[in-house]
Amino acid sequence: MTILRKIDVADMEDIAIGGAVLGTGGGGDPYVGKLMAQQAIRQYGPVSLMDVSELDDDALVVPVCMMGAPTVMTEKLPQGDELMNAFRALEKVMGRKIDAVLCGEAGGVNSTTPFVVAAASGLPLIDGDGMGRAFPELQMVTFTLSGVSATPMVLCDDKGNSLVLDTVSNAWTERLARAATIEMGGSALLAFYPMSGKVAKEAVVRGTLSLCAKVGETLRSARAAHADPVAALADLLGAQILFHGRIMDIERRTEGGFARGKATVSGVEEYRNQTLRLDFQNEFLIAEKDGTVLATTPDLITLVEADSGDPVTTDSLKYGQRLITLAWPCNPLWRTPEGIKLVGPRYFKYDRDYVPLGE
Amino acid sequence: MSAKDAYPLLEADLLPLSIGAALLGTGGGGNPYVGMLRSRELLRKGATVDILPLEALPDDAWIGEVGGIGAPVVGVEKIEQGEECYCAMRAVEDVAKVKMSALICAEIGGANSMEPVITAAQAGLPVIDGDGMGRAFPEVQMTTFFIYGAKPAPAAIADDKGNTVVFRDVVDMYWLERFARDTSVAMGAAAGLAIAPMRMDFVRRTAVPNTMTQALQIGRTVLDARARRLDVVDRVIATTGATLFFTGKITDIRRELKGGFARGEAKIAGSGDWQGCEGRIAIQNENLVLWVDGTPVIMVPDLIINLDLETGEPITTEVLRYGQRVAVIGLPVHDLMKTPEAMAVVGPQAFGYPDLTFTPLALGPVHG
Repeated sequence: MTILRKIDVADMEDIAIGGAVLGTGGGGDPYVGKLMAQQAIRQYGPVSLMDVSELDDDALVVPVCMMGAPTVMTEKLPQGDELMNAFRALEKVMGRKIDAVLCGEAGGVNSTTPFVVAAASGLPLIDGDGMGRAFPELQMVTFTLSGVSATPMVLCDDKGNSLVLDTVSNAWTERLARAATIEMGGSALLAFYPMSGKVAKEAVVRGTLSLCAKVGETLRSARAAHADPVAALADLLGAQILFHGRIMDIERRTEGGFARGKATVSGVEEYRNQTLRLDFQNEFLIAEKDGTVLATTPDLITLVEADSGDPVTTDSLKYGQRLITLAWPCNPLWRTPEGIKLVGPRYFKYDRDYVPLGE
Repeated sequence: MSAKDAYPLLEADLLPLSIGAALLGTGGGGNPYVGMLRSRELLRKGATVDILPLEALPDDAWIGEVGGIGAPVVGVEKIEQGEECYCAMRAVEDVAKVKMSALICAEIGGANSMEPVITAAQAGLPVIDGDGMGRAFPEVQMTTFFIYGAKPAPAAIADDKGNTVVFRDVVDMYWLERFARDTSVAMGAAAGLAIAPMRMDFVRRTAVPNTMTQALQIGRTVLDARARRLDVVDRVIATTGATLFFTGKITDIRRELKGGFARGEAKIAGSGDWQGCEGRIAIQNENLVLWVDGTPVIMVPDLIINLDLETGEPITTEVLRYGQRVAVIGLPVHDLMKTPEAMAVVGPQAFGYPDLTFTPLALGPVHG
């Protein structure tokens, strides 16, 4: 087994920033997950990051995640053992040892949570995830496209409750797990989508955790060198700069458990006299300039502060912020008809077709 | 009112069982009709279900408790697929790594009287003559089993589509109620629930005994009285030891859905011996308290039953309406539901009546 790299306490800072960038405005603040991961690494030692191709075909791989409302997750901290409890409970249900840990969602808080389990269990962590970004619902993973069932799945809370789900579809898993998560106080920790190494090689969006680390490093070194962090970031991600402007108006409403809304950005510099409209639903989903759609989900749309390159979440958007809008293409697995059906604009109830962003 | 021998449940028993169960439902518990049809189908196809006395099985036999969970009104329209409780029971067996020797009813009152019969017919198991309430109550933890220490996990819930959720660890019985309630709502407000296996010695000590037989006998009394054109209300009172507390006409009914329950109040203008008096019944799925001219005369956990004054048909709270003529009878609940432990879970305080002190009813004379 070849280890790509060892992830130590300091590396988690970079990964958390990268996770926020891949979070495309949502996915929850990686801060809490970062602290948990750092604590676990201090206690158990660094995490070995491994390429998915290193897995044996019959290995058992399990992703872990935190589920719930991002706003709740930052205030109601996990008690500490839930992720490992969920992981070990799923191992029991499966009746065999798990061989590697996987990340479900590389964007937002869940870019950091798998490190907690990898450190505590001493198992390798696969360099990849099920989204290559953040999405709000648990069936929205490339694993679903590969026919992997989310169940058996274990859901744990801070009080000591644990639930095992066995469902007819991943959409039903989302529905039932969401209900339980709300009852658990708005956040829960889970182990789900158990899969073989063979399936993982096909289903995983590869390299996303090392990409998170690189994003953090890139922003850090550009700032240290007094270079333009946004340009360096765009270069690394292969992202287009869609717009540069000030937030003029924000409209937010909580609907069906999501933070839905619109933001209007008024252009500055070369974008003077132009207006960008952003639709979001936890994550940024559509960017439209003066009536022309520039980018839509599942391609990635992220807003960063123009000076620092720091990513901005949809819930922290404020009047007057000067932000640059970046967009870059999603993983090709999402660009299939099945992928668009699962996470395209129409799933999110927007009357828009997916417009693939050019490379 | 006890049957010391095991007996097979026959097709002809299902109608009286459902009538007796509806009466013991004290206005709630859901309509047993759909479950009765389902049980009848299974018996006609050759399944057999034996009713075993509490004394029958050895101490270390494992007993499963099953029941439907959800809104009774939904259960009537969204007909269950039929194997919800069976799937939940099998899921519990898998997690707990035990095989059930028999099933027992969570609540004899209403639709859940039929659930263990259906599951037993599907699994080829007998049903124990008893239940966890001796009536109907709206929440999962309100059984003698939980009141006297049954483990809240592992339990499982299953729906008509094939989804199962196992409650592997839950902090206590109240958490089980919360999770099961919320999951049942996500599943479409009707699902089957199976709780953790219980040892027979525990069930013997904590079950309300002989209630399957009691429901059957009440149903037979009602059918017999109707056939012989006797006064059904009189016959029910004479054979059960119930007491008539009020007769009158419904003059006002207020119902609202609050926290997943049908809550409300019915007002009754007295007639006969109660001419000029006003009766008032508080409702939370089941009838909770009867006041006559402002004085509480029957309260939970004792049974408050509305019977149609003419036909003796039990009237459930969701079909109460203006103009109905009713007889309100009271039946003492089993002693297991009157201890301080039970009061904490099913007494007037637990239902939000802090000012009421439970005053138990006395059992009236019982004639054959």
